[in-house]
Amino acid sequence: MLKNITIGQFFPGNSLIHRLDPRTKLLLTLALIASVFLSKGFAGFLLVFLFVLACARSTKIGLKFLVRGLKPILYIVIITFLLNVFFQSDGKILVRWKFITITEGGLQRAAFLAARLILLVTVSQLLTLTTSAISLTDGLESLMRPLKKVRFPAHEIAMMMSIALRFIPTLMEEADKIMKAQMARGADFESGNLFRRAKAMVPLLVPLFVSAFRRADDLAMAMEARCYRGGEGRTRMKQLHFERIDLYAFLAVLLLIAGILVLNAVGVF
Amino acid sequence: MGQEIIRVQDVVYHYEGSEAEAVAGVSLQVERGEFVAVLGRNGSGKSTLAKLLNALILPASGEIYIDGLAAHVEENAYEVRKRCGMVFQNPDNQIIATIVEEDCAFGLENLGVEPREIRRRVDEALKAVGMLDFAQSAPHMLSGGQKQRVAIAGVLAMRPKIIVFDESTAMLDPSGRKEVFQTARRLNREEGITIVWITHFMQEAAQADRLLVMHDGKIALEGKPREVFENVETIHEMGLSVPPMAQLATELRQAGLPLPRGILTVEEMAVELCRLK
Amino acid sequence: MPIEIKHLTHVYMPGTPFETRALDDVSLTIHDGEFVGVIGHTGSGKSTLIAHMNALMRPEVGHVLVGGVDVGEKNQSLIEIRREVGLVFQYPEYQLFEETVEKDVAFGPQNLGLPEEKIAERVRDACAQVGLSEDLLGKSPFELSGGQKRRVAIAGVLAMKPSTLVLDEPVAGLDPAGREELLQLIQGIHQSGTTVVLVSHSMDDVARFCTRLIVMNKGRVAFDAPPREVFRHGSELREMGLDVPECARLCELLREKGMDLPEGIFRVQDCKRAILSALGEGSKC
Repeated sequence: MLKNITIGQFFPGNSLIHRLDPRTKLLLTLALIASVFLSKGFAGFLLVFLFVLACARSTKIGLKFLVRGLKPILYIVIITFLLNVFFQSDGKILVRWKFITITEGGLQRAAFLAARLILLVTVSQLLTLTTSAISLTDGLESLMRPLKKVRFPAHEIAMMMSIALRFIPTLMEEADKIMKAQMARGADFESGNLFRRAKAMVPLLVPLFVSAFRRADDLAMAMEARCYRGGEGRTRMKQLHFERIDLYAFLAVLLLIAGILVLNAVGVF
Repeated sequence: MGQEIIRVQDVVYHYEGSEAEAVAGVSLQVERGEFVAVLGRNGSGKSTLAKLLNALILPASGEIYIDGLAAHVEENAYEVRKRCGMVFQNPDNQIIATIVEEDCAFGLENLGVEPREIRRRVDEALKAVGMLDFAQSAPHMLSGGQKQRVAIAGVLAMRPKIIVFDESTAMLDPSGRKEVFQTARRLNREEGITIVWITHFMQEAAQADRLLVMHDGKIALEGKPREVFENVETIHEMGLSVPPMAQLATELRQAGLPLPRGILTVEEMAVELCRLK
Repeated sequence: MPIEIKHLTHVYMPGTPFETRALDDVSLTIHDGEFVGVIGHTGSGKSTLIAHMNALMRPEVGHVLVGGVDVGEKNQSLIEIRREVGLVFQYPEYQLFEETVEKDVAFGPQNLGLPEEKIAERVRDACAQVGLSEDLLGKSPFELSGGQKRRVAIAGVLAMKPSTLVLDEPVAGLDPAGREELLQLIQGIHQSGTTVVLVSHSMDDVARFCTRLIVMNKGRVAFDAPPREVFRHGSELREMGLDVPECARLCELLREKGMDLPEGIFRVQDCKRAILSALGEGSKC
């Protein structure tokens, strides 16, 4: 149950998308997110979806992982959908039963919002699955570099993010172990009301925090032992270069956005 | 040989808020290219000693020289760490990056080495520890022994003269232990790197060039492993154990068999027993 | 209560490239009062095996019966099984969470819904069993030494009063004196009537204490016999990546060279006696 969160889980590979400069990928992810918001209807979504699908195919990551990554937001999607179905009324009435009315417009709106949510997560997953945490943070650091002039701690933030990402799988595994150990002492994480369940988490969370602090201590020492002194005077093994493929990628996304704008203008939703 | 690379002189250290001295007046020398093991119980001060060698902590009194450089002076810490690398106990808590080769590059990046040179040295270091095939792997998918070898590569890439292993095998299974120990042995023999190997496994200590036994913050015994393990009783009193063959040899001698001193391995024992008339 | 395992097979992540057969048709029974050692290198299936013993994992293929009750049965109360079979994980001190030792040890009995006085009694008993003095009860478990923390964690499982105690690598990370102390303690727990299953990498440790040894290899039971019989298969054990105790190896070597030594020796004391008596009878190599 704890293992199927794919955020921060990088799939090593050598596809076109893997090889793109992380800055390109970051910017284009933002652009794709924008294009999702730009779309006024399902036609636009279909374009974005096909685009993402093509990208995913080329990475050989397999749709299964993308779908699995949607699991954590499944409830949010369902709730969004239901809220809109029940509380948006617009157009022809499809069902009326006691106090529930479902309208055509409401249904459409609900499907639209749910689809938007799913697309947004899929787009960002494409980024995290094809970009290692380090190159992601490299990209961020590099994009944030101009902000250093206003004393914005770009390097520190990037380093913190990368370490957080590195330790997510380790802490997940640990949480799983502690949970099993407490279950062996008769702890019950699965039944009871909300309050009882929250209380049942204490035996899991306390050891997890204690261990996270211990790890942080160890890690700080290991970093110091390897001559870490902050961002000053640091070089990087992997230098970021914009290549020709980055240009093509920008063009492809530009075309996509243009397509959406055309759809909007023509009025095909 | 014959050239001193580590010199520790009357070093004392105590942790904040604690009266007891974790290291209580230790003096020792290590020669260039030596493989020295430090054996001791938990809390004997051996890990504190390791941190002192790397200038991660500074002694309350006494002097430490690493390759001629004063490691008891805060200003030198950075230079000391370049010369003396360190591999820690917990394999999970010393890997910083999410990809093996990027972790291996971390130290060199801190030193400000030029990117192409980093690439070259990272590949070289990963090859030296036999982890080149895993360069692109995620650390959490590796076994404990493999993680420790990645940590060694990260230190090795910085081209230190000394590597201190602070109980680096304590959390590994037997095959991982062997893997890591043999890697250290090879680096010592082939690359001439001086090794300080801190452990509480006597099987590992037995294979070192020289052995120091720490007890209550002091060096209690010192010498070649086969000499040190002659002190069966003293070592037991310190809460440590001796290799089974050393123990058996002592007991057989006490029972009257004329066995020579310094037997450590099964093969040696068999040869000596067969030599008896 | 005996633990019967019948034709148990477990496959992790079936149908993916990561598919691994952790257990492959394993059948064995842990009888009341035994002191069983389970040995095998990482990935041999021993962790999966013990997770099945107290229903942390439920059998998918095959059966696990604890005291005759089928663990795999639907609606089977798991807490009953977990009370019978206590499981101490590797580095158990990482599961401590309460403000005081007393409260932490009480966590298990509380989950069983016992009355206050009963809980207090069990906490005292469990702590005494692992040799924790009463003045430690009010202390925070995080202030204790590594060895003490581990004993608190073991007491936390003992407080459930299990009829069988399963320990996964209980001495990992301890120094020789700490190992010895804890192993003696476990032996004491066994002598007071608890069935003990000890999982370990170290042949020397299990050989000294256990009366029966289960050697796991590639998800199967390779050997299931008393230690002295298992150590007859020196070369096979080495092939599995396991070390034979040095004394057993010495005796093997000396026998090959013609000395008349009995088989199945693995303790230093036995080895000494055997060598002395062989030499005394004029048997040489």
